[in-house]
Amino acid sequence: MNIVFDLCVSTLTQGLIYGLIAYGVYITYKILDFPDLTVDGSFPLGAAVTAVLLTSGADPFVTIPAAMIAGAVAGLATGIIHVKFNIRDLLSGIIVQTALFSINLKIGGSNLIIPREIDTIFTSGPVMALFGDLGLMYRKLIVALVIAVIIKIILDIYFKTKSGLLLRAVGDNSSLVTTLAKDSGNVKIVGLVIANALVAAAGCLVCHEQRAFSNTMGTGQVVFGLAAVIIGSTIFKRFGFVKGTTAAIVGAVIYKACIMIAITLGLDANLLNLVTAIMFLIILVMGNHNRKGKVKHHA
Amino acid sequence: MKKLLSLALVSVLSLACLTGCSSSTEEAKTNPYKIGISQYGEHASLDNCREGFIQGLKDAGLVEGEDFVIDYQNAGFNDATTTQIAQNFSAQNVDIMCAIATPSATACYAAAEDKDIPVIFTAITDPVEAKLDKGNVTGTSDKLPIAAQLDLIRSLQPDDDTIGIIYTESEPNSVSAIREYKELAPDYGFAIEAIGITQQSQATQAADTLIAKGVDCFSNLTDNNVVGVLASILEKTDEAGIPVYGSEVEQVVLGCVASAGIEYFELGKQTGAMAVKVLKGEAKASEMPYETITEYGIYINNDAAAAFAVEIPADIAEKAIAVNAQ
Amino acid sequence: MLELKNITKIYNPGEITEVCLFDNFNLSIKKGEFVSIVGSNGSGKTSLLNIICGSIPVEDGEVIISGKNINKIKDFRRYEHIGRVYQNPALGTCPELTILENMSLADNKGKRFGLSFAINRSRINFYKEQLSILGLGLEDKLDIKIGSLSGGQRQAVALVMATLTPLDFLILDEHTAALDPKTAEIIMELTDKVVREKQLTAMMVTHNLRYAVEYGSRLIMMDKGHIIMDKDGEEKKATKVDDILDIFTKISIECGN
Repeated sequence: MNIVFDLCVSTLTQGLIYGLIAYGVYITYKILDFPDLTVDGSFPLGAAVTAVLLTSGADPFVTIPAAMIAGAVAGLATGIIHVKFNIRDLLSGIIVQTALFSINLKIGGSNLIIPREIDTIFTSGPVMALFGDLGLMYRKLIVALVIAVIIKIILDIYFKTKSGLLLRAVGDNSSLVTTLAKDSGNVKIVGLVIANALVAAAGCLVCHEQRAFSNTMGTGQVVFGLAAVIIGSTIFKRFGFVKGTTAAIVGAVIYKACIMIAITLGLDANLLNLVTAIMFLIILVMGNHNRKGKVKHHA
Repeated sequence: MKKLLSLALVSVLSLACLTGCSSSTEEAKTNPYKIGISQYGEHASLDNCREGFIQGLKDAGLVEGEDFVIDYQNAGFNDATTTQIAQNFSAQNVDIMCAIATPSATACYAAAEDKDIPVIFTAITDPVEAKLDKGNVTGTSDKLPIAAQLDLIRSLQPDDDTIGIIYTESEPNSVSAIREYKELAPDYGFAIEAIGITQQSQATQAADTLIAKGVDCFSNLTDNNVVGVLASILEKTDEAGIPVYGSEVEQVVLGCVASAGIEYFELGKQTGAMAVKVLKGEAKASEMPYETITEYGIYINNDAAAAFAVEIPADIAEKAIAVNAQ
Repeated sequence: MLELKNITKIYNPGEITEVCLFDNFNLSIKKGEFVSIVGSNGSGKTSLLNIICGSIPVEDGEVIISGKNINKIKDFRRYEHIGRVYQNPALGTCPELTILENMSLADNKGKRFGLSFAINRSRINFYKEQLSILGLGLEDKLDIKIGSLSGGQRQAVALVMATLTPLDFLILDEHTAALDPKTAEIIMELTDKVVREKQLTAMMVTHNLRYAVEYGSRLIMMDKGHIIMDKDGEEKKATKVDDILDIFTKISIECGN
């Protein structure tokens, strides 16, 4: 059973770390109804900033806000392109994602490895002082869990503030926001900034965890985020009291668990994307029931 | 629907537990070495590495199924999947991880840290750059024999002076190879005309540009984006009458004139031999320096050479291996 | 109060589909008036509202509210002093938010949406009081999502929300058109009650001639961008549905309706 336990620990860690992407996609896709493709670029951006800072001797904990600021700027760019230049949502994301590919290469090169002599958040002083007796695997889980829970709580509180309520209102009904004398465009930008800051934070944690930045690491992260959010919200559809953030992070863990199961079962990795796509489609079709119902209510 | 989904999840999870348990009991019975091979994706050179690696184990007298069992996983070129594959190996407590290509190697190295499982890599151009030169990790580098390639081109095209190369700017191996090409080319009296691309669709355009610039020949790296559309590049260069030199045997088969390159199968075998030493406890991965292939094979496609009227000097013809075009 | 001066509005200018809707259009509405506007399809009723709210630009002319030209002011800023209820009940409320959350959104209209908590417990009694005017019992369902209410209930909440904060001007954009006759009647009565109680200046576009005649203090009929009838005061009170029906039928037939 040791194997299964280890697998659970590492899968949970992965799910929690990548779950920050799911938080971001939850904000853009679920709340704002904005399919944000910036994610594939802002995720490696967070990792690139982190890798450069770590290798130049910065404190590991400084990298988290730094990566988040970088991600926020990427989200700001997508938001401004969409809102101020009137470019469609998908295209705005594609433009920024494409630009970030070059920017990430300029920041971190194609690969940047963090040697073991350099401390990451999982091996830094405060963490070692508290959990130094535990193995690295467990330390990673604890740190990931703490970060994921803290961010979840902050987000849940934010959604209850006036600014957060307005954000939810924009995705729900932007014309109402206009009649409240608020520019719904600016609110969208705020949402994109927060979402991409979270995505970049995920990139930051992955960089710490893998001790590596690679410019290809962003590929498929949008799909992952969407899948996680949709899996989560579909599963918890009937439980109204489960918060969207909880559903997103659970969805992320389930997604990573499915991949791990596929690996354990020895499924051909060339088919992995196909399996993911089919799983995604099934869940989308299931989610569709929900959507149709919602439209009916609107009418 | 939801019940179905949760049922499916539960059944898959329990299946996973079962396979996890069953494989561990199997291990207890015969106690063979458990080797996890993590390959970045399926691709001719990387496949050759893996097959060579297994051959290397067999050459040392080990028998698959009795002395060792392989858990082969490929990540389908997805970085996040390499992480999970490596963690799976770590959970299984494999005796050694074999990582093919850089993303797999960094993921295995990160996952192996906790349990200090040795990692053997191959198909990494610059292990120093990838920080895989120290720690419980070693392996083989597939660094191109650039000097040998330049020497070969100089012998086959004694009067020419520019070599065109297309490379992907985001591939670290390509970038470092270009750097070395530019450094070494003057020694052989060549100038390098390099065009960087960011995606495969730009490769044929870049070929047109190089042809228009009037380069005397092309030389290839092991750049995936370029090799992937090599056939269409060769179509253009054939028409323009410009010979192309490959970097591995597969490219010569496709229609390149010649190459001084590495044989990935051989590289894999060499890696397998290193793995055996680690497994048998004869050496520690942390104490073994990474290896590079010192002997390079020269491959010549005689049909292509004839078509471009490239004369093969006798000394080269003697050591070269003739390859037939497809 | 509200003045439209020499408004010119051309759709698709310079294209083959160019349509000149308003050419030198003028309208002036006094404080406290409740204006009903009727007219055939394409007569410019909704365009008129959109011009006032800034949702569509004008080629020429001035929009003046309380003596101030608001031509250059962006649409969302104009709503600081304008309330609007749409035809589609979905547009006036947020379906995924609870009644309480919707009310607190409306309550904060014109204020900063910062990082303080959105729901102010001390305001709940005020919300309940406002909702109880509707007589639908919604004041006891503050925590349910608006999306689970019927169209009529949602429109009623939308009406309360639109008039929750002090307004210069209330715009009712065929706000009963999407409701069944009985609900429409209730909403119309509520509208009248709210407008009277809060002494609002209001402008109501409607297809229902009876509402236009029965409610409001002034009646305007539009056709092809022109005002062809404008009655107020005693004259409006004396008007019967039959009086305007003939004219209305005539312009509607001309339009091919």
